[in-house]
Amino acid sequence: MKKGEKLVIIGCGGVGGPASILSKRLMPEVEVTNIREEKRFIVR
Amino acid sequence: MAGLVTGDSIVNPDAKLTGAGVITLIDRVTKVDPKGKKVLLSGGKELAYDKLVLGMGSSPVLPPIPGNDLDGIFVLRSLRHAEAMRQFLSIKKPKRLVFIGAGFVSLELAVLLKQADPDYEITVIECLGYPLPTMLDAELGGRVGKFLEEKGIELRMNSRTIDILGKSGAVSGVKLDSGEVINCEMLFMNVGARPNLDIAIDAGLVMGQYGIEVNQFLETSNSDIMAAGDCANCFHFVTGRPNPGALRGPAVIMGRLVAKRLAGYEIPFPGILNASACSLIDLNIAATGLSEQQAKDEGFEPLSATVDSRSKHGMIPDMKPWTLKLVFDKNSKKLIGGQILSADISPVKEIDAISALILGGKTIEDLTVFMTAGNPDCSPEPSMEPIAIAGEQALQKLRN
Repeated sequence: MKKGEKLVIIGCGGVGGPASILSKRLMPEVEVTNIREEKRFIVR
Repeated sequence: MAGLVTGDSIVNPDAKLTGAGVITLIDRVTKVDPKGKKVLLSGGKELAYDKLVLGMGSSPVLPPIPGNDLDGIFVLRSLRHAEAMRQFLSIKKPKRLVFIGAGFVSLELAVLLKQADPDYEITVIECLGYPLPTMLDAELGGRVGKFLEEKGIELRMNSRTIDILGKSGAVSGVKLDSGEVINCEMLFMNVGARPNLDIAIDAGLVMGQYGIEVNQFLETSNSDIMAAGDCANCFHFVTGRPNPGALRGPAVIMGRLVAKRLAGYEIPFPGILNASACSLIDLNIAATGLSEQQAKDEGFEPLSATVDSRSKHGMIPDMKPWTLKLVFDKNSKKLIGGQILSADISPVKEIDAISALILGGKTIEDLTVFMTAGNPDCSPEPSMEPIAIAGEQALQKLRN
């Protein structure tokens, strides 16, 4: 992805959390948005 | 579920995401518009994207048995399910608990509750012949069954629940296909999960047998949309065929793989092995790849080797027994599956060595020269290391 592009990730269970965090780390100039339905993020 | 911690104390804080620079929205996505490249949220907001990742996961299956909407029926998938069950247990104080499905979620819960209160009358019902049937073959599954019965848990294997009985809107029992009625005040269902696909289907993405069709880089039929985890049509590493993966481990790996793909890497997903582990306090179980029965069902000619081992050298106090079963494909001689039953918890993670050997395409001969780290406090004596011994056993079976 390129600088300034938008990445949207639906879900924050097994896939969404790691995908969001690593995407931002690898592509810091991409806007990363995570959308989840559950009020609480998955347990540790 | 053990009541050792509160729910809020074990969730990841949102700061884990926001601190990493991720914008976090708590909302429900009602629609994906692939042409307009935007998602619609339940609050009315629209969010544009250049790339979209679908990780909606799956939801527990509630089998279509009459009465499945009565009070006192539970599934366990997320923290709110656990909290609801704990509240029910503490307020309603049920005495008789029935579990439908003898998978690892059911069994861990059953054993935990029985240990917490030995007065609970617990029955586990399973339509297949023994506990943990998707992880183990019959001989090891039978040993798990014996262990559960010794713990005072009743088993009804090879049994189907045909009716859920109720009284005043609450569950009062179940009726089996044998005609037996088992009375209960709480019913727990653990019979699998169904991928959450509504928005993906509505978006017109191509579907596979078990979820959203993806290629080896987790890309869907739409070049701007990727999918991973329980909602994607995973494939099995050994068979190459679609497989309903529903475990957190592969989902995490797929999540990271998606990020790397978007950043320009070309690392393909190797396929799942369904490696899983289960702890029943005094008995610990793990499995990976195909069981011998699954291998036959998939058209392999399996060859297996079972070895009894020890958690430590024989002279060390607290040494406990464990059993390893390896499954090979007779034609290619490759390792395709493994199962572990262990009294001590530490040998269970040897299943990861088995997974690595399967992924590395290792054969019977390779395993006979597999050398491991050893220490009297955490391994058997080197001449009794079970992976190499299983290789030797399999080699002799091939020769014969």
